[in-house]
Amino acid sequence: MTEAPLLEIKDLKIYYPVHAGVFLRKVGDVKAVDGVSLHVQRGETLGLVGESGCGKTTLGKGIMRLVKVTGGEILYRRNGEQPIDLVGLSRSELRPLRAEIQMIYQDPYSSLNPRWSVGEIVEEPLLVHKPELTAKQRQDEVAWLLEKVGLTGEQAYRYPHEFSGGQRQRVGIARALATRPRLIVADEPVSALDVSIQAQVVNLLQDLQEEFNLTIVFIAHDISVVEHIAHRIAVMYLGHVCEIGPSRDIYEKPLHPYSRALLSAVPLPDPTLERPDRIRLEGEVPSPVAKPSGCPFRTRCPLAEPACATTPPPLVEVKPGRFLACPVVARTLP
Amino acid sequence: MTEEAPKLLEIKGLKTYFDVEGQTAKAVDGVDFDVRENEVFGVVGESGSGKTVTALSILRLIPSPPGWIEAGEILFRGRDLTKLSFPEMRKIRGKEISMIFQEPMTALNPVFTVGFQMREVMKQHAPGTSHQELDESAASMLDLVGIPDAKRRLKSYPNEFSGGQRQRIMIAMALSLQPHLLVADEPTTALDVTIQAQILDLMLGLGKKSGHTSILLITHNLAVVAETCARVAVMYGGKVQEMAPTKRLFGSPQHPYTRGLLRSLPRPDKPKQRRLEAIPGIVPSVMDFPKGCKFWTRCPEKIERCEKEEPELREVSPGHFCRCHLVEPAPAAVTGATTP
Repeated sequence: MTEAPLLEIKDLKIYYPVHAGVFLRKVGDVKAVDGVSLHVQRGETLGLVGESGCGKTTLGKGIMRLVKVTGGEILYRRNGEQPIDLVGLSRSELRPLRAEIQMIYQDPYSSLNPRWSVGEIVEEPLLVHKPELTAKQRQDEVAWLLEKVGLTGEQAYRYPHEFSGGQRQRVGIARALATRPRLIVADEPVSALDVSIQAQVVNLLQDLQEEFNLTIVFIAHDISVVEHIAHRIAVMYLGHVCEIGPSRDIYEKPLHPYSRALLSAVPLPDPTLERPDRIRLEGEVPSPVAKPSGCPFRTRCPLAEPACATTPPPLVEVKPGRFLACPVVARTLP
Repeated sequence: MTEEAPKLLEIKGLKTYFDVEGQTAKAVDGVDFDVRENEVFGVVGESGSGKTVTALSILRLIPSPPGWIEAGEILFRGRDLTKLSFPEMRKIRGKEISMIFQEPMTALNPVFTVGFQMREVMKQHAPGTSHQELDESAASMLDLVGIPDAKRRLKSYPNEFSGGQRQRIMIAMALSLQPHLLVADEPTTALDVTIQAQILDLMLGLGKKSGHTSILLITHNLAVVAETCARVAVMYGGKVQEMAPTKRLFGSPQHPYTRGLLRSLPRPDKPKQRRLEAIPGIVPSVMDFPKGCKFWTRCPEKIERCEKEEPELREVSPGHFCRCHLVEPAPAAVTGATTP
């Protein structure tokens, strides 16, 4: 905590308007991200976990400024410089920063243009962000990038359909690396891959992180994978962060009632394990259009109290490095 | 317990091929396994392993053309399903064998109410039942799978339900005629973990309750298999590579592919490793599987023989079968080379 974080998000809100009726009047908001605060240290991997609709993907897109931000701050800090609030920047002001913040997408099939060769796909960011390079330099760079991600330079002339899912994901990673970013937002980068390939891509990301000192926001619903790759995990539910902490800590001793239920539902590949601790949540996630008042989880929470319905609980540091948004549990802690 | 139970379904040497632009894709190329009565049997495999095609073959739902069952037997309660006529097969589907598909979004017809679709299933197998009776049993099934306000919800359309609820409806439909075998193809893959846990509990619970339903669970998720199945077959390249009681398979996996798969999984319950042990290479497409052992191109223990000669599925210890030249068969079972 000595160094200032590379990325600091403060009370971020991203609402999608809901239109209805003949005149498509705005009738409400989908509060996809509703007051999220977190930070990511340089060289760190922060895992964002949660179930569909919890806002983890929207948060990732918000950091990239790919969606309209409703409120809050996204502070991006270069080494030893004053932080820049990405929320306030115009498109042209953002453009140079885009080279420093890159994204890896979930679907290796739709995120690569099928009409472009792999070389062209990886070259594109260089054309935009490094116009000073000659064609030869770009070509060398593309070959070097492809080799970095475990492909060969000759494969630059081939098209996405000639590659398997895992190889395409490698192409996506090479494209993201082309501009030498500091921060990578990886949205479910391994979910679409086969089990035996998943491990390859996870290892690749870890190697690249070390080599390029990358900071990664790793969004995934597979908690076992996130636990492995991330240094810290933030658990999200209905647009709120329930809990943040070191990943092993969160996995072994989740504090928030939702994280407890979520983690206990994760199946483990060991048939000899008994899981008497499994917590079954009743019902389903409420709609983000009509969220419960106060704590978003209170309608399904076994510990809910009347007070939970009044105000959304803030994220409080309950132990060094461990943040929790549940006053009911926080009270019981030493 | 499963050792003594009689076989409900027995697949012998099943081959299902597809014609792809003039070439033959051997999606399933000699699969043998059996599902016993009251058993939950798992089939795990990656994309292209042939697990879904095996399931569709059992129900004779292979689109033809381009696909066909080239060889093999699917014995279900003494009858060979591959030899049945279309009308005979229709009597079996739904009533004796039913199926749950991966995509709860697309498996229901969006233009009919859920009640209509549920009645339709039951009407096929019990003609002459009154509309009201059908409605009542449909509502009680929905109630059983935990859909609140079941009676009124029969009038709702699929889009009015969440993903988890739609999968519950699929389970209700699949179990409404109390089939002997439920084939579940990736039933929870599209769902979140907490919903996945609910759905698996529900499926297993209802299977047990009926007293005679076996479940054939097809998945890519080894952890789901570990938690639900009594026995499991691991498929790769259109063939069963290893088959054993679940505890045995996870406890002492024999095939290099199975061992590789298990090692490549992140284990949050174990001391942290810095790197995962990945299986090298890529899963070949169905057309590109090598000659000899299907796995040799990616196998760290490959010997010369693997490239030329495909190993047989041999019993390596009682109830544990493995298709690998390097794994010695149990002395007593040297002859039992083909089917379990």
